Amino acid sequence: MSDTTEAVPTASTYTVPRPPRSFKRWFRTVGWRHVVGFAALAFALFPILFVVSSSLNPAGTLGASELWPSEVSLINYRDLLNGTDAPFVDWMINTMYVAGGAAILNTGLAALASFAFSRMRFKGRRTGLLGILLIQMFPTTLLFVALFVFVTDIGAVFPALGLGSRTMLLIIYLGGALGVNTWLIKGYFDTIPRELDESALIDGATHSQIFFKVVLPLAAPILAVVALITFVFTINEFLVASVVLGQGDDENYTLAVGMFRFIDGQGGEWGQFAAGSVMAGIPVVLLFLFLQRWIVSGLTAGAVKG
Amino acid sequence: MSGVSVDDSDTVPAADQRSGGRRPPLRSAFTLGLLVKVAFLATVNALSLWALTQMVVEGVWLAVTFLVVATVAIDVIYLNTKRWSIPYKYLLPGTIFLLVFQLYPVIYTAYISTTNLGTGNILDKDEAIDQVVATSIGTTESGTTYVSQAAIDDDGTLGLILLDEATDPPSLYIGTSEELTPIEESDVTRDGDRITGAAGFTALTLGEAADYEQDLAALEVPADEGVIRLRTFNRAALVEYRIQYDEATDTMLDTATGVVYAPSDGYFVSDDGQRLTPGWQINIGFENYKRVFQSEAIRGPFFRVFIWNWVFAAGTVTFGFALGLLLAMSLDHPKLRGKKLYRSLLIFPYALPSFLTVLVWQGMMNQNFGIINQLTGLDTPWLTDPWMARVSVLIVSTWLTFPYFFLVSTGALQSIPEDLTEAARVDGANGAQAFRAVTLPLLLVAVAPLIIASFAFNFNNFNVIYMLNRGGPPIPGAETPAGNTDILVTYTYRLAFESGRGQDLAFATAISILIFLHVALFSAWSFRKTARLEEI
Repeated sequence: MSDTTEAVPTASTYTVPRPPRSFKRWFRTVGWRHVVGFAALAFALFPILFVVSSSLNPAGTLGASELWPSEVSLINYRDLLNGTDAPFVDWMINTMYVAGGAAILNTGLAALASFAFSRMRFKGRRTGLLGILLIQMFPTTLLFVALFVFVTDIGAVFPALGLGSRTMLLIIYLGGALGVNTWLIKGYFDTIPRELDESALIDGATHSQIFFKVVLPLAAPILAVVALITFVFTINEFLVASVVLGQGDDENYTLAVGMFRFIDGQGGEWGQFAAGSVMAGIPVVLLFLFLQRWIVSGLTAGAVKG
Repeated sequence: MSGVSVDDSDTVPAADQRSGGRRPPLRSAFTLGLLVKVAFLATVNALSLWALTQMVVEGVWLAVTFLVVATVAIDVIYLNTKRWSIPYKYLLPGTIFLLVFQLYPVIYTAYISTTNLGTGNILDKDEAIDQVVATSIGTTESGTTYVSQAAIDDDGTLGLILLDEATDPPSLYIGTSEELTPIEESDVTRDGDRITGAAGFTALTLGEAADYEQDLAALEVPADEGVIRLRTFNRAALVEYRIQYDEATDTMLDTATGVVYAPSDGYFVSDDGQRLTPGWQINIGFENYKRVFQSEAIRGPFFRVFIWNWVFAAGTVTFGFALGLLLAMSLDHPKLRGKKLYRSLLIFPYALPSFLTVLVWQGMMNQNFGIINQLTGLDTPWLTDPWMARVSVLIVSTWLTFPYFFLVSTGALQSIPEDLTEAARVDGANGAQAFRAVTLPLLLVAVAPLIIASFAFNFNNFNVIYMLNRGGPPIPGAETPAGNTDILVTYTYRLAFESGRGQDLAFATAISILIFLHVALFSAWSFRKTARLEEI
């Protein structure tokens, strides 16, 4: 979010600073806001503080966890990375493979389709745009039984792509490429002036050159946002991942499936789980903070527009 | 290839405008793009040809048909130079994935919901018959066993050299899948105790036998009373199939008791109601849907799940939005320091992967070991008491949702012109009145679609419900696995994979279809509200 208001002094009565500055006045206008802010921070950050603290607590069990660990050690991180209790490193790599692949390929497929929807007029355009919106009403979360049977069938013909295959999971996620993402990117393409295409056309560019060399570079912000949203969504996706991978080897799990099975209901390896959460969470949070401004505009662009 | 249409009208524009500026065709003859295209098409065709050979062997004709059509479509579209094909060049890749992994599963879901697919009814009928017969294997009354040595002859025929130690002197046989032949001791060659060959057959060593493991396991030597099969590597036994299938009458006969089993509802069933398992998959029409509404033990929990689903989604959005808006208004003040820091830190619950944070909450809310009960010194049953569990779910989902509404509300507030509230002030409105009459309506216009989207997302928010508490605590007396905090999608998942009666896949898909119908109605209503479709 931009902080433009901070720089712009306004004339409204309650913002004009008035000497003398008493604490009472300060508290009435600004101070109480900090109280609310701190309360919100406590609520928002308490679980995060707790998980960081647990990850550093060598006691390692849920019952022995404290808010401030009396002893600090990295033993949980070491055990987890050594894979003594769970193939955590495999899960990280699998997640990067599936989520990274899904993010890049989904964005690519959606950008291709968006170009056609934004720049061309053809038979079935309106039907297509409506169709991909309507099919979203049947969310992938509801398709898991059919996907389970389907992947079992596929595995009977191509064992490498059957239940337990990470690549199959990635391919399934590509089914959602034509969807909300396409709408978001199409909306952005629509704002890129067509005069640019036309001048490129006059210079003798082909349609593919216009797409790759004119439109795509200009649309980089929305592509980054869509890729990031898909990336985070895929990391988070548990249901389909559990259906496809859950009956296979635990080395093939994604983080969501692996971490859930690792901790659910027992809390015995709480310290290692916490260490894993910290390691898995940090990159995602950094990405988010880095792209915060664009994410918010991207999130709102699709829905608020018009 | 010709140019791109940049025409606004919905009709295909005439090509004349562009054809005047046609480029010399040779210019783009050997570009990188062409190379990529040729490589792409070659790969696609090679892959699909390879896949086709596998699929034809397995006889999956629906998939074969689709693959052929898709491959031909790809070739036709990408080798085409006519201008009508250009849009489809961009649409085809995504469309293929959409059809296979989105549309087909939707149709398949509808289909499965009219069958009895589930544990015990996975196979088709022929497979089920084979399985029933194969598992009815048992030793015969005589209970004859043999010392066995796997062997192979010069033609590669596998055989068993069998020694029946019960007779005196021990009798010897060579058994193949064709016949059982008695042999004499003089036919056998030995190396110490070990038999090394007999009557043209050479004994297999343990290592060699491992190469034929599957063939040996399936080898059946016909004998008078039944068949001789290997039990372990060096023991074989005379066994018989107690159940035989009669193709003419389509019935199963238990040879020991004489009971006849006739096919009924996907199983072979005897007159007194005994079932042979496994059964097979049959079409049962709308039975699964009827079950939802007719069986009291299912209907009760189902409607509880249904109502809680609405309460959960509406509650999450309400609390999340209210808290987010409150924070946005509190922290959006020109003189407030550290706004950026607040915003960066408050985004954490939204930015972190929810499966991790929800699992952390699960640990924190543990009644015996959780940090919340530890710090407060209480013994609150956060996740085990039905009502507390619902409250806990709402706390966690609000925690996950409010940062999002905080961000979008902040954005929306900043986009509302200051003059408007000032004008209201000038007209004599106090702060609260100005907020209610000016700020809130403008804010809601901007945020309403996001509220609806958030509702739709939370309606099927599997992670929160399942990771926090697996939908528990369970509703007592429910015939299906239903919990007090289950929403429809977790309920469906548990039906499919965690039911006490095994996987009830077909019933789970019927519930999916019901959820879909009802999401569809809701979406249709909300689309009308947002009037988003008018833009196309």
